[in-house]
Amino acid sequence: MGVLTDRGKATAYGIFSLSVLLTLWICATSLFQWIEPRVLPSPAQVIRQFAWIITEPFSGLRLPGHILFSLERWGWGVLTAGLVGIPVGVFFAWNPWFKTFLNPVFELIHFIPPFAYIPLAVLWFGASTATQAMVVFVAAFPAIVINSQLGVAQVEKIYVDAARVFGASPFRTLCRVVLPAAAPSIYTGLRIAISNGWMALVGAELVVGKVGLGFMIAQGQENASVATIFVGVITIGCLGVLIDTLVQRSERYVLPWRRVAG
Amino acid sequence: MEQSVGKMASGSTNPATEAPAKLELRNISKWFGPVGDGVHAVDDCSIEVKKGEFIVVVGPSGCGKSTLMTVGAGLENPTQGEVLVDGKPAGSPGPTRSVVFQKFALFPSETVEQNIKFGLQMTGVSAAEQEARLVEQLKIMGLELFRKSYPSELSGGMQQRVAIARALVMQPEILLMDEPFGALDAQTRTILQEEVQRLHREKHYTVLFITHSVEEAVYLGDRVVVMTKRPGRIKRVIDLPRDVIWKTGDIELAAEHPEFIEFRREIWGLVREEIVSI
Amino acid sequence: MGQSRTLQVAAGLGAILAWIIIWAWLTRPGGPVPTLYFPAPDDVWAKFVRMWQRPYIGSTLPNHILASLYIVLTGWGLAALVGIPLGIAMAWWKKLKWIVFPTFQLIRPVPPLAWIPLTILWLGIGDSARISVVFIAALVPWLMNSMLAVYSVDRLLLDAAKTLGANDRQILARVVCRTALPTLVAAARMALGNAWSTLVAAEILAATAGLGYVAVNASQLLDTDVLLVAMFMIGILGICMTGLIGLTQNWLAPWSVLGARRD
Repeated sequence: MGVLTDRGKATAYGIFSLSVLLTLWICATSLFQWIEPRVLPSPAQVIRQFAWIITEPFSGLRLPGHILFSLERWGWGVLTAGLVGIPVGVFFAWNPWFKTFLNPVFELIHFIPPFAYIPLAVLWFGASTATQAMVVFVAAFPAIVINSQLGVAQVEKIYVDAARVFGASPFRTLCRVVLPAAAPSIYTGLRIAISNGWMALVGAELVVGKVGLGFMIAQGQENASVATIFVGVITIGCLGVLIDTLVQRSERYVLPWRRVAG
Repeated sequence: MEQSVGKMASGSTNPATEAPAKLELRNISKWFGPVGDGVHAVDDCSIEVKKGEFIVVVGPSGCGKSTLMTVGAGLENPTQGEVLVDGKPAGSPGPTRSVVFQKFALFPSETVEQNIKFGLQMTGVSAAEQEARLVEQLKIMGLELFRKSYPSELSGGMQQRVAIARALVMQPEILLMDEPFGALDAQTRTILQEEVQRLHREKHYTVLFITHSVEEAVYLGDRVVVMTKRPGRIKRVIDLPRDVIWKTGDIELAAEHPEFIEFRREIWGLVREEIVSI
Repeated sequence: MGQSRTLQVAAGLGAILAWIIIWAWLTRPGGPVPTLYFPAPDDVWAKFVRMWQRPYIGSTLPNHILASLYIVLTGWGLAALVGIPLGIAMAWWKKLKWIVFPTFQLIRPVPPLAWIPLTILWLGIGDSARISVVFIAALVPWLMNSMLAVYSVDRLLLDAAKTLGANDRQILARVVCRTALPTLVAAARMALGNAWSTLVAAEILAATAGLGYVAVNASQLLDTDVLLVAMFMIGILGICMTGLIGLTQNWLAPWSVLGARRD
């Protein structure tokens, strides 16, 4: 009956509700000052703080510097989790004895929340990149193992048999048949791991370190600067979305056989 | 014997009828998506179901028979045309028109008893009355032992019995059945076909029944409506004899009766034309 | 079948035993791993027994456990009180979803932990800061899964209910909410997992009791054995709580755990 489709209406409603929220925020801070700026800064103050952190060093580094440090720690953690986790997952599915033996250690990593490793990591590595990377590793590792294992276990036996019939060795069967078939699941695992790792990184940086986005919001708390915390929180959220989108988009290039019509 | 009324074309209601229709689908057309661009499921179909009559709609798969059913039940609005009950617009779905779905549609979280009582509770029937009707219906459908079971514990055939009981317990004026035996194995289907036949003979329900099985149509129907392939139109309406010996017994015996074979051949010929034509 | 299952359990227990032996061997006096970095199993056990009676940084182990449980269950429960009705309502009334969901989508990508500094500034380092962080962490899975639970209800069931004379309110209460129960149990587990994990971090940052607080203090005091006790307790309690929620499915939604009994 209306001119707008459901999608259009949803967008309209969304824009409307977000504008109401923004208006309320402006009213409560800049316009009528219902709330003190040290409790809730105005949008303008947050933007100013953003500009300030981008141009002036904050605790020794500008915003891009903090971002790069965070990304570096996160990168190391996720990379090692992938390098160790994918083979472990594949062998878990390939060899039940290997799984039985390693399972207690794996479950330990799986069931103790990554943040509980922060004190241990600090004790082992002090305030170094390795501390945060270890927490990221612990957060990312289980998802990779579980999904790699699932992917391999789900490969239908007829494919493996077919490869055998054509005379492929076990190793070539693994490379040519099993891994490509398991790749989508492994990829899903990586995606979960990447976002879990990002969440864990923030936690680790809140506790230890002198740089990074988590450190920035911890510092904001220390200085009672809510605007700084907002800048940190917004940056972390945006980067999280950006990374996830990139990973999602990249799937069709990395796994071209997964492209589906439509 | 054959009294084919021919193609019931647009606008014309059947003038030959004296008794008023219990349920009437009048010039129904249904488009999914925008008219002219979406899927044209049903085109200008008119069907009358008189009181106590068992109408079977048969046609090739994807011909819009099920759409006709959902429109008849009031679950979808027709793009054109109207649905009448006792000559008045039917409105939203309700317990006067009970529906039995192909996929049973039993509430998984409720026991057989709760499922059958569902409609009674929704319409505010007293607890004593609920219980009485439940017990009666359990007996009729042979479900006494499964009163406290959940649907997931029952076989497909038993589940469909529950669904039929749930529809009948409402004492509906009209019963709509959408390929109710389509999801069952052949043996269970035969048993339930015979039970539905028996129920109709004893209680004279008014039924609109959708199927793709020609045999089922001949066995159960008082009249058979054959539909064309999509967009579904009415190809032919065939009146079947009532109170003949082969309609009162097992379907296996009926299927050997020459008259049954003749009707089956004729209707299958009509359906086949639709399937093979491009 | 039964025999292979017994074999599996035996092999699993054997593996655990093997790892404890490896652990003990690596951390033996004069062994390759210094106990400062990783204490021996018997030390950890002794500390565990000791902490059960003697207070460590203010409380005994049971009291630390209770402190953590109090916060996590409060935050998780409050999130359920908000998340379940809101999620169901958003799935049921499109307009409500259109209004609320964008804001929610905006907040969702922020790790719940990032709220800790803000809540500490706003609410101090008392229980309420931790409860609200746990609340935020648990709210997302509660709300998302409540929505999904409603969406996953078969449309056919709604049609069936309509033809049986049920109105919208009756359908929502009797068909949608009940059919959605198993999904809600899954939501409860996920929410609790998130809540528990976030609580640990919150306790590391700001607390005066609780297992995370024990862990971070043990780390600073180089009581590695206490640290391991705390970590094990965190893991075990997490498993127990999610296990308990799994069990509730049996009586909340008995139909969802039944196997088909063919006749």
